[in-house]
Amino acid sequence: MEKEITFDPDLIHEIFKLAWKRKAAERGKNELSENMESEVGASSSKRSRPTFANANALKLSAELLRSFVAEAIQRAATIAEAEGSTKIEATHLERILPQLLLDF
Amino acid sequence: MTQRRFDRPLSRASFAIGTELANATMLNNSPTMEDLDGGMASEVEREEEESVTHLLRDRFRLCTISIAEAEAKQCGMEVSQPIITCISDLAFKFAEQLSKDLELFAQHAGRKSVNMEDVILSAHRNDHLTTLLRSFCNDLKAREPNLERKRKKNSRKEGRVAQGLLRTPDT
Repeated sequence: MEKEITFDPDLIHEIFKLAWKRKAAERGKNELSENMESEVGASSSKRSRPTFANANALKLSAELLRSFVAEAIQRAATIAEAEGSTKIEATHLERILPQLLLDF
Repeated sequence: MTQRRFDRPLSRASFAIGTELANATMLNNSPTMEDLDGGMASEVEREEEESVTHLLRDRFRLCTISIAEAEAKQCGMEVSQPIITCISDLAFKFAEQLSKDLELFAQHAGRKSVNMEDVILSAHRNDHLTTLLRSFCNDLKAREPNLERKRKKNSRKEGRVAQGLLRTPDT
């Protein structure tokens, strides 16, 4: 029944993986420079291993991002309607942006 | 005498400057070479990363456009293209921030994988959002065991059918 358009969980996964890989690489570098003299053992490799994500967690993240976009459009639409225009413009987005960013 | 006095310091100075220059060039040369190599490698990596990020951002934008236009149609509104692009970039930054949060939450729980609870926790500042995500999470959970049960039931039925089929030739 659900025909709601949402983000592709695979796409979300790829964005997350990229961010995690970047962070893991940074952490690995930091630990290498820190642990040059002391033990460079399994701990560093364990800690620098990237994080995994649950399939349902990805769907839930997609839903969170979808609601972010939907909320932005709906709030801007309310402002645009109040101003009597039928097209959402930059000024409408500007009006709702602060509260939107605080709410997410 | 005066010339000599001047000559010596001058010559020393020039000599010193010469060695310093030489040292400086010697010292500077090797690190610059290394820097260049390291810089080249990291630049290539960065360029690759940037291209991947751009690709992801464009795919993300496509998704955002479809969502935003569907949402605007419901409101009976039009959305100008730059606004959608702006919202898409915001959402992309939000996604990157979200990934950091989720990783930290999972790590704090002593896990290596991100859970649904982590996602719900990331929206804990907004009660409405939390309840929305919680209900979505329950929906997902409710759907999954049903599928498994159905599969089990189906397999059982199939087994019975198979048994029946096996029995029929006997009778």
